[in-house]
Amino acid sequence: MVSATAGSICLLLSLYVFINYRYTIGGYQFTDQYPWLKGLGVSWHVGVDGISTPMVLLTGIVMFSGVFISWNINKRTKDFFILLLTLVTGVYGVFVSLDLFFLFFFYELAVLPMYLLIGVWGASSTFPTFARTKEYGALKLTLYLVAGSVLVWVALLAVYVQAGINSFDILELQKLGYPQGFQYLFYLFFMIGFGILAGLWPFHTWSPDGHVAAPTAVSMLHAGVLMKLGAYGIIRVGMGLFPEGAQTWAPALLILGTINVVYGAISAMAQRDLKYVIGYSSVSHMGYVLMGFATLKVVGVNGAVLQMFSHGIMTALFFALVGVVYDRAHVRDIGIFEGIAKRMGTTAAFFTVAGLTSLGLPGLSGFVAELLVFVGTFQTNVFFGILGVIGAALTAVYILRLLSKVFFGPLSPRWEKLTDATKLETFAMGVLVAVLIFVGVYPMPFMRIIDSGVVPLIGRLLTVA
Amino acid sequence: MPSINLPGMEWAWLIPGLSLLAFAIIVFLGKRLPGKGSYVAITAIGLGFILFWFVLKDLLYSRPATFNVTWFDVSKYSLKWGMIIDPLSVLMLGVVTSVAFAIQVYSLGYMKGDPRFGWYFAVQALFAASMLGLVLADNFLLLYITWELVGICSYLLIGFWYERRSAAEAAKKAFVTTRLGDVGLLIGILILFKQLGTFDMSTIFQAAQRGDISAGILTLVAILIFLGAMGKSAQFPLHVWLPDAMEGPTPVSALIHAATMVAAGVYLVARSFPLFEVAPYALDVVAIIGLLTTLIGSTLALVMTDLKRIIAYSTISKLGFMMLALGSGGYAAAMLYLMTHAFFKALLFLGAGSVIHSTGKQDIREMGGLWRKMPVTAVTFIVAAIALAGLPPLSGFFSKDEALIAIRDAQSPVVYLLALVAVFLSALYVARPAFVVFFGRLKPENAHAHESPPVMTVPMMALAFMSIISGFFVFNWVGPLFGLPAQFKGFGAFLFLEHPEAFHFDVMLAVYSTLIAIAALGLGWTIYHKGLISPASIMERFAGVHRVLVNKFYMDDFYQAIINRVVLAFSNLVALFDRRVVNDTGVNGTANLTAFAGYRLRYHETGKFYDYALAIALGTTLIVIVAFLVT
Repeated sequence: MVSATAGSICLLLSLYVFINYRYTIGGYQFTDQYPWLKGLGVSWHVGVDGISTPMVLLTGIVMFSGVFISWNINKRTKDFFILLLTLVTGVYGVFVSLDLFFLFFFYELAVLPMYLLIGVWGASSTFPTFARTKEYGALKLTLYLVAGSVLVWVALLAVYVQAGINSFDILELQKLGYPQGFQYLFYLFFMIGFGILAGLWPFHTWSPDGHVAAPTAVSMLHAGVLMKLGAYGIIRVGMGLFPEGAQTWAPALLILGTINVVYGAISAMAQRDLKYVIGYSSVSHMGYVLMGFATLKVVGVNGAVLQMFSHGIMTALFFALVGVVYDRAHVRDIGIFEGIAKRMGTTAAFFTVAGLTSLGLPGLSGFVAELLVFVGTFQTNVFFGILGVIGAALTAVYILRLLSKVFFGPLSPRWEKLTDATKLETFAMGVLVAVLIFVGVYPMPFMRIIDSGVVPLIGRLLTVA
Repeated sequence: MPSINLPGMEWAWLIPGLSLLAFAIIVFLGKRLPGKGSYVAITAIGLGFILFWFVLKDLLYSRPATFNVTWFDVSKYSLKWGMIIDPLSVLMLGVVTSVAFAIQVYSLGYMKGDPRFGWYFAVQALFAASMLGLVLADNFLLLYITWELVGICSYLLIGFWYERRSAAEAAKKAFVTTRLGDVGLLIGILILFKQLGTFDMSTIFQAAQRGDISAGILTLVAILIFLGAMGKSAQFPLHVWLPDAMEGPTPVSALIHAATMVAAGVYLVARSFPLFEVAPYALDVVAIIGLLTTLIGSTLALVMTDLKRIIAYSTISKLGFMMLALGSGGYAAAMLYLMTHAFFKALLFLGAGSVIHSTGKQDIREMGGLWRKMPVTAVTFIVAAIALAGLPPLSGFFSKDEALIAIRDAQSPVVYLLALVAVFLSALYVARPAFVVFFGRLKPENAHAHESPPVMTVPMMALAFMSIISGFFVFNWVGPLFGLPAQFKGFGAFLFLEHPEAFHFDVMLAVYSTLIAIAALGLGWTIYHKGLISPASIMERFAGVHRVLVNKFYMDDFYQAIINRVVLAFSNLVALFDRRVVNDTGVNGTANLTAFAGYRLRYHETGKFYDYALAIALGTTLIVIVAFLVT
């Protein structure tokens, strides 16, 4: 109950911030600043701009929906929600922090509860050729992310020392120039360090394994929001501090992002487990975010930020739906299901919407985001743009195969007694569906805000060049 | 007398808008509405049809115009939703609204009692909205959006009876195959945007005509756009989805997979004609693909035994014929064909639907003599068949001859000859179901067959009327009969407002094309009705050919093999690579090491996650020291 209240309040506050953000003015708003450790130059400095505002809203929505989906968790319920709320605190913290020290603090705060959430409330799975215990998933995920953190922390300290202005404040640090060699080296640290969390190939394998082991709400937050922290880190810290580094490494990021897209989609095609399919599809879709960043064009980066939002909502919906199915069927093997749309009409309808968003159907949010990423990528490099478009077509293949196999066809007798999503679950997921459609049909409010954040960022990038 | 108070062309957005509204109403309130919302959809499309007349009149009095609103701005670009009102789009508006209206009314009878009756009309409304949006779109972005939306409606309606495995598979196949073409279309649009920074069609066409785009890129873009058209209009080699799409309810096959959506590819090429004209070789590609498609479609239509599949292959062959006409520069001819085809092909399907509805069978070998049981269906079906065969004075005669003239003037004699062969085959393949289904002996198991209710037969009669007369629109005297102002000077002149083009007529050609059709119908009569030549003996004589045809030139098997052996094998390989190489070797190797360290630390420390904090702290300190030493 407390969590539900907290979730609702978070959503309302996020909505308030989103609606009241003045895109015409741009810059950082709702700021707040108190010195904390003066000696080190650490201060509590928060605020949002056009890039973080949609992320804050995303967190609010996913959190809200996630709490309602986990309503029937009855194993150490209190602990579960405490950890979940800690995680969300961390996520919010990262998106609003304008101080590197606090940003990193919240970053860690968001990552660490994952270990316990998966280890305690997760599920182990056995597959014909291999097995994944929940402990394995949890451990792998945590170690990976901590490895990324170490890179980030090293780079952060290097920046602090190099700048020598005794401040962790991002806005202060942004004003300084850094030597070329320094930028080359440490942008790479940020790109890989944060990139790990964003599912950057070839550091992505923690993600599908982690999802498979995690309980529903954690998968939702994890794929929906946590992976965005990585992408957010790249754009806010990496690109914000090191314009030249960003330019130097952009081709590499473009190549890796494209590999993410195509490789993720092809891998997803071969998966037998519902959660693995969605897990690899996340790897694939996060590739569009990375591609968008790598264009260094206003259009492409706009698309990337919108893709962060859109993918967050979409993948949260996907995991919620898989959770609903798994709760009832206790299996996730695609081969075992057939024709369950007959018994789970709402679930099938929602799954179709999520799937269509995933394959980039116009009228749903994914299309707008991917279109902008493509427009940007085509301007940078036609070849990778074409690969990106092909990746979207591959998505259609695995999504439609899954829909056809699991939901359509004759109902197999084994699932005769399956029940549809409860009212509460339908409500929680309906919120996500509504957002997907709204953004797809009327993206104007989002684009105005995102644009106001991206333009100055890219402007700075280009003046350096 | 132009009146300001009457709705004019600026109201045209309401035509798709009403259907979209109907979709929303049915989805949210459908269960509580009378008829589960079906009347809402029908009212919306009916009003759309009425609005079409106002828009048409307004267009005849004034000049083409465009209207747009901003969808959203990004960076320096402003993405818009806009509509273009010109003869081409208004013609399509008329075709889509009239056929869709007739078919939705027919569906009231055909879909009666279906558990998802309301959902059916919701998707029908969404389809109508998307299709009308497609023909109105004044920029490539909106065109692509609606293009995908009609695709998804097609997916949903083919898979409407999703409990059937075959329906679910057919829906998937249709969407994925057309998506292959759409990849090309989207890439083409994006290349244009990269070149010119706009999606706006008229700007793009002007730039192309001015020569602002290099010839190489123009051809590339034209072919990429044509790839999209090939997917939607089921052109070889992407035609394989259309016959399977017959898994959907028959009215859906009539509307989407015969009259409107599959014609969208033809419309797209016609709409982009300024681009194709100046792109070297592009029209040749269109013509060659069209020719191949029409030959493949018409030969396969000869051997199918499923009534709907026969008509489906006939659609493929006719779409190919339209592409061939377009590729020969016969812009007006192709559009005339598109219009007449929409009427008579929709009618053929509705007739087939009526037969299926009544007998519960789809295999023509199980039918015969049905004209006694269902006279209206029989008469309208035969009207449609004759129109398709192209006998004067039915609509198909005019459009076919117009197309043949264009082909004769532009192509080599070989191509022209093959086009005539296709005309012969068309008449033959349509004679077969007409004779086999409606004539001959009535099978005892079909004794209970009955005529369909008026709600189904009236739309069929309306379409039969249009199948007969829609060819007359080539003459300017027909305008006043329909209440059109004197500005209407016949189809060709209407379609080219700027450069009126009269109707071509070649008496010699008309005579021998008619003779060809009559010969084919006569041959059909001899084989399928009189049995003077037994179909079985033909099959025996040409057993090899027959086997190849029945197996659809083995194209489905070929694609399936590619999917299984290449695509899935490759994806399994990548997945295995991911698990074995990236994960087990690259990751677990490292992870084991790290896990081992973590394991040890855990023993030394509390076992909570403080140890991670400690590890970080220690590592950090170390690094800070190193950093200080280095800098």
